Amino acid sequence: MIAKAVIKRIFYSLVVLFLLITFLFFLIRLAPGNPADKFISPKLNAELVHQTENSFGINEPLHVQYLKFVSSVFSGSLGISYTYRIPVEKVVLQFLPFTVFFALTSFLLQIFCSVLLALFSANKINKPVDKLLAASSLIIYAVPSFFTGVFLIYIFSVQLNLFPSSGVSSFGNESFTWVERLIDYSLHLILPILTLSLSGAAMFYKYLRDEIEIEYQKPFVRFLKSHGYEEKVILRKHILPNALNPFVSVAGVELGALLSGAVITEVIFGLPGMGRLTLEAVLSRDYPLVIGCTLASGVMVIAANLFADLVKAFLDKRTLQGGVLQ
Amino acid sequence: MKRNYFSTGNFVLSLSLLLLILRYDFVLQIYSLLFEWCSLLLSDLLNALNIIDFAIADHFVSALLIIIIPLLVISLRAKKIFIEPLSYPYTIMISLIFVFLFAPLITKVHPEFQKNINVTKLLPPLSSVKVVHLNDEGKSKPYIRFQLQKNKIIPGSFNENVLFADSTKTGDDVVYYQRGDEFLISKKRVASIDGKPLITSKLFLLGSDEFGRDTFSRLVYGARISLTVGFGSVVVAFIIGSLLGFIAGYSGRWIDTMLSRLTEMFLTVPSIFFVILILALFGNKVFTVILVLGISGWMSLFKIVRGEIISIKKKDFFISAVMIGLKRRDLFLKEILPVIIVPVVVNLIFQFGNVVLAESAISFLGLGTGTEYPSWGSMIDSGRNYLSEAWWLIMFPGASLFAVIFAVNSAGRKISSSINLLK
Repeated sequence: MIAKAVIKRIFYSLVVLFLLITFLFFLIRLAPGNPADKFISPKLNAELVHQTENSFGINEPLHVQYLKFVSSVFSGSLGISYTYRIPVEKVVLQFLPFTVFFALTSFLLQIFCSVLLALFSANKINKPVDKLLAASSLIIYAVPSFFTGVFLIYIFSVQLNLFPSSGVSSFGNESFTWVERLIDYSLHLILPILTLSLSGAAMFYKYLRDEIEIEYQKPFVRFLKSHGYEEKVILRKHILPNALNPFVSVAGVELGALLSGAVITEVIFGLPGMGRLTLEAVLSRDYPLVIGCTLASGVMVIAANLFADLVKAFLDKRTLQGGVLQ
Repeated sequence: MKRNYFSTGNFVLSLSLLLLILRYDFVLQIYSLLFEWCSLLLSDLLNALNIIDFAIADHFVSALLIIIIPLLVISLRAKKIFIEPLSYPYTIMISLIFVFLFAPLITKVHPEFQKNINVTKLLPPLSSVKVVHLNDEGKSKPYIRFQLQKNKIIPGSFNENVLFADSTKTGDDVVYYQRGDEFLISKKRVASIDGKPLITSKLFLLGSDEFGRDTFSRLVYGARISLTVGFGSVVVAFIIGSLLGFIAGYSGRWIDTMLSRLTEMFLTVPSIFFVILILALFGNKVFTVILVLGISGWMSLFKIVRGEIISIKKKDFFISAVMIGLKRRDLFLKEILPVIIVPVVVNLIFQFGNVVLAESAISFLGLGTGTEYPSWGSMIDSGRNYLSEAWWLIMFPGASLFAVIFAVNSAGRKISSSINLLK
């Protein structure tokens, strides 16, 4: 039952993904500008320019290019990156591990903090502590992430000089022992992870808190209370599973967005992630790499949403019949 | 009922009054310019129309509106929107619209104005420099009266008849100091009033940036960009989202499936990548930015409209209205519109906040509305390079961005919670 639904779901997602890269393919080809210009001066030799364009295959008619592109995608190769001069898959694989690590760390931190705080304020709804937390979560959520990043650098790197302001490792960290290296990496990543996590954590907290508040007002809670169930049991067994359901779908979307790369955080802190790779690929008109990055981020988003749906199904078996996994 | 003096109408009135008092001489100057232009219009129509450009029209419109808006508020003061008690979102939104309309009155400095960078660069907030006004007698071009007055009023990005200096000394000649260097200038070159050289001081309210440009002025003109892009994109998103959602919900079947898959496709890639891609490929004019941000933000509206329409189609009141034989137009206006309008408006408000944020984010990445106008995002981006020396370059745009987004979000939340209470 589950397996069938999941397979159907994955199939649909793949169709969507294929449509997406088709759309991208035509969009990129329609745009003005030519990758050959980057490598060779048009003044040098018209013949040479023509040869370069031919080698990129951008002089052929559009439908021929598209057919070639589709066949190469199905045979598992995305072409060679114009800038890096190695196959696109290899470029993406160079940048993907960092992004996955970065995104997962930030995501787990967000979930951990928000769930913890929401549980903390669950039985204090509308008391001063809860109001203070809710208000500050709204404030943190409204601060743009690029401002958070620059602000954190200003406070912790410029004024206090506690953390480095960019990169993932210090110069000459090859000579460090592994403990030093670990400390070095974590010092470099504290500010970026904070930047990436703050607004998400605030959003998750507010979302979960509101859901818990709504659930608390439902009749079944009064029924359970009148039957003498403990507050703890009501919260754990009855309110949380209900409140977590919409929370998980939001978390899935957020995880997908994180996994496809946090452009702004990566740009501020100069990190080697998928977001910056995509940005650079677009700016340098590296057609195969753009497609590769989009494909990678698309797969990440789909996987994250699928994962969220599976978690939802695990929390509430009814969703399997309800048709969420379709 | 107790009268509430802190109402939106009174806030608008007091803001306009404040602006009028602070800038009354400037407003009068604009009006005399407008008068000159009108007389020019009568005598020489073609020339008068040629002479008008965006900056002049901008000044005229804001000078007219600063009179019209208070009168309008006074005459409509009993209307509901003007007796609404003042709250944080209203305050911010009204101020933002005010800044948008009256930018030329609020700041007389062109956002790109730069001169004597060595004196004016990276000045902290509330610092001021001396301004030596020079004679423009050297040039004897035959200006017509309009042009003369125009040059006095409309701020340019460059003014050769002004010198900035740290301090000045007047003897036989005027001596001025720029970063410790002494310069001499003959008294004849300096403009004078009653025989004394005309030396004023210029206040940099919120400091200046690395090119000596006034941060306050850039902030004010940046608000215009945010608001323009925000409104424009919301309109684009509204048109696309509600139209497609309506079609999908109303016709159902394969059209619905197809449009839903299309939406899913747009949702698969995070919108910031899509926006970056389009802007990098097709250039970043203001219009492109508006269009792209609108196109990347219609999906939630589509889902809302589609869902509402599908649920309305099953409701008894709608079925009976169809049975009675209402016309399509009446069906839409009387049965569908009242139900979907509120969730749509809430969505559009949140969308506005998202777009303002997205616009500043892409400006931050250097793909925004170009170098033509300052934008809050690009101000933060360029301020990043001077973090250790100039905190004001990032704090003020960041704070205004936060204030606007927070206000929009709380307005949206307020409305949506009041709907939930109704349900």
